[in-house]
Amino acid sequence: MNSIAQRFSHSSTSNVLNEINQAQTEFAGTPQLELAPTIQLPPISQPTDFLRAHTDDASNPDCKIKIAHGTTTLAFRFQGGIIVAVDSRATQGNWIASQTVNKVIRINPFLLGTMAGGAADCQYWETWLGTQCRLHELREKERISVAAASKILGNLVYEYKGMGLSMGTMVCGYTKKEGPTIYYVDSDGSRLKGDLFCVGSGQTFAYGVLDSEYKWDLTVEEALYLGKRSILAATHRDAYSGGSVNLYHVTENGWIYHGNHNVGDIFWDIKAQEGSFNNVEG
Amino acid sequence: MNATVASEYSSEIHSVPIEHRFNPYSDNGGTVLGIAGEDFAVLAGDTRQVEGYSIQSRYQPKVFNVGDDIVMTANGFAADGAALIDRFKNQLQWYKFDHGGKKLNIKSAARYIQHLLYGKRFFPYYVSTLIAGLDEEGKGAVYSYDPVGSYEREQCRAGGAAASLIMPFLDNQVNFKNQYEPGSDGKKKRELRYLTLDEVLELVRDAFSSATERHIQVGDGLEILIVTKEGVRTEYFDLKRD
Amino acid sequence: MNHDPFQWGRPSNETYGAYNHHIANASVRETDHQSLDNFPKMNTQQPIITGTSVISVKFKDGVILAADNLGSYGSLLRFNNIERLIKVGQETVVGISGDISDLQQIERILDELETTEEVYDSDGGHNLRAPHVHEYLSRVLYNRRSKMNPLWNAIIVGGFNDDRTPFLKYIDLLGVTYGASTLATGFGSHLAVPLLRQLIPNDVDYVNVSEEQARKVVEDCMRVLFYRDARASDKFSLVTIKRSAEEPDTSYTFNFEKELKVENQSWRFAKDIRGYGSQQQ
Repeated sequence: MNSIAQRFSHSSTSNVLNEINQAQTEFAGTPQLELAPTIQLPPISQPTDFLRAHTDDASNPDCKIKIAHGTTTLAFRFQGGIIVAVDSRATQGNWIASQTVNKVIRINPFLLGTMAGGAADCQYWETWLGTQCRLHELREKERISVAAASKILGNLVYEYKGMGLSMGTMVCGYTKKEGPTIYYVDSDGSRLKGDLFCVGSGQTFAYGVLDSEYKWDLTVEEALYLGKRSILAATHRDAYSGGSVNLYHVTENGWIYHGNHNVGDIFWDIKAQEGSFNNVEG
Repeated sequence: MNATVASEYSSEIHSVPIEHRFNPYSDNGGTVLGIAGEDFAVLAGDTRQVEGYSIQSRYQPKVFNVGDDIVMTANGFAADGAALIDRFKNQLQWYKFDHGGKKLNIKSAARYIQHLLYGKRFFPYYVSTLIAGLDEEGKGAVYSYDPVGSYEREQCRAGGAAASLIMPFLDNQVNFKNQYEPGSDGKKKRELRYLTLDEVLELVRDAFSSATERHIQVGDGLEILIVTKEGVRTEYFDLKRD
Repeated sequence: MNHDPFQWGRPSNETYGAYNHHIANASVRETDHQSLDNFPKMNTQQPIITGTSVISVKFKDGVILAADNLGSYGSLLRFNNIERLIKVGQETVVGISGDISDLQQIERILDELETTEEVYDSDGGHNLRAPHVHEYLSRVLYNRRSKMNPLWNAIIVGGFNDDRTPFLKYIDLLGVTYGASTLATGFGSHLAVPLLRQLIPNDVDYVNVSEEQARKVVEDCMRVLFYRDARASDKFSLVTIKRSAEEPDTSYTFNFEKELKVENQSWRFAKDIRGYGSQQQ
């Protein structure tokens, strides 16, 4: 009874003051610059449904907020290190938001992360991973292992499981202890070590080429070509992949960038040189 | 289950809630455009604001000079856009208080805006955000964002309702996509070069007058904010009001 | 996560359950208790007692706002003595349409604002003016929408800028704001704005409009709204805020007229109306 009485006596002023204070703090707050960010949730009982309803353009093409998605990425281990190859297209629904996305995130000179799924999720959390790796270095006085780095990311996304993050990423790197190593981490919380992964909507097409030509003893040049060729196949058959191919080679001395290759150009070069893609005339 | 039809433009089909349950988003139309040149950058937006089929205002600016020679716009849901820009301005002030009035460079501003957007990853700001300014070397820079903060530095970017009309035009006219040297039989690409400010302003005006012809949510006025080493200045041009 | 190539990266139904179309589309649908249980927690689901349009216009020396005095309960014309124009500070008026209980909450907020800004401002250096009130209310409404607990209103704030030019701006339940020389909420945005824009085609043209011209159009608008808006009444309030011609920088008049009637009604057009559109006889 008391609580009810309390709610209705003198409440108008305090309610109003509350309202006023909240409206002010929303905007006037000091910057929040902690490394582990706080992310606001919609203040309703089913926040994940809310998010999905407004952003899942696969289930509802008319949903208003279309989040940029990235698409075909691959990485494989071979005798000369690791090859990482990615396309550069980002789509929002049927709209090609960009043909020049950088889908390889340079975590540090020895670590690369690839980006497939929600562009912002990957970009944000892999940048964040970079800060964590640097902190590890400062604390432990040695470079972080690929296993540890990928686990930091894996644990992070697992905390958010079911909230609607979408990322399929490969953490690729070289350490003395581990040698060339690839971990696949996705937003379901899976974290898998392996020799060869393709990730994204064009993964099946890339796997097709990569599996048929892949062997451990590839030379560096052959391996770079195979990476490029696999992504090219994916851009050819997957509408959500395209733009250009970015190529990286990870060695014991860190990663080396092997350039950006426009699909429009390399397609014709490779077709002429290999005599492949005979489905296309010209 | 509601049948949904894929529409060509993102905002074409929408049902308006009348007296039933609360949808915290709406779409206020309009379109924006940023182009970076060698020693300048421009950010332009039309001045119409709509809700459904009603024109709410014919002059409601949406491109702002937020300080430190950075111009910014957040197009889409107007309230979210205003809130985002206000928050950024506010944080810029704090940055200045904390660092003895130091100038925030555009690269840092860009990263900070990513954090602002991603901070609402699960309750997103429904906006496409652009900022423009000059980088540390004095070269023009445009950064573009998706609603939850993935970003990229680009030469040019259109955002908002008529992005799908303007962006292909920009690809062709700024980045010379699919342009070849005459007489080379489509073998030799046209060489890239920086556009001059006058050329860019011409492009911007053409882009907006064309978008006005073909998109109902674009028109009334065009406001262009130009960043050079002298600072920020504004130009205004009328657009068709139909 | 869905690994099917064409659904790749999208939330899968196995993890998240079926896609909920009702949230994104928020379509008009019969509401029953069951369906509300399935829906996220919300606060004001719908307005109960409502006020219809507020209309407003700038003229050379000031602004005019008008709103009728009706509070509707659905289609029942429940109250006919609701004052929807609120004076804030010395020279600002706020016109509110939408839910009346939320209107009263806003009234309390504005009261509090006035107390803190005017009463405690002992040195008199600061004046509470329309742009401040507008900015303030827009923050309150946006904050509420972000809490999914909206104040179900559309608001027009009229008064003067710091440089003594007329000020007119709008805010709605989502926190959307905009300014123009002619503004109306609700039904008025369809019926009254075209009439007002006939007087002021371009926003800058208000400087050529006299108080008499503006007032006449506003009265016309109230009449048209009464004819065609089933939730409008013919009893309304009208506020005119005007700089004085002699000392435009310091002196102004605030004229609050209540219990006005819609004059010159003529229902002759009614007999010719047969249904809608092309329907004949």
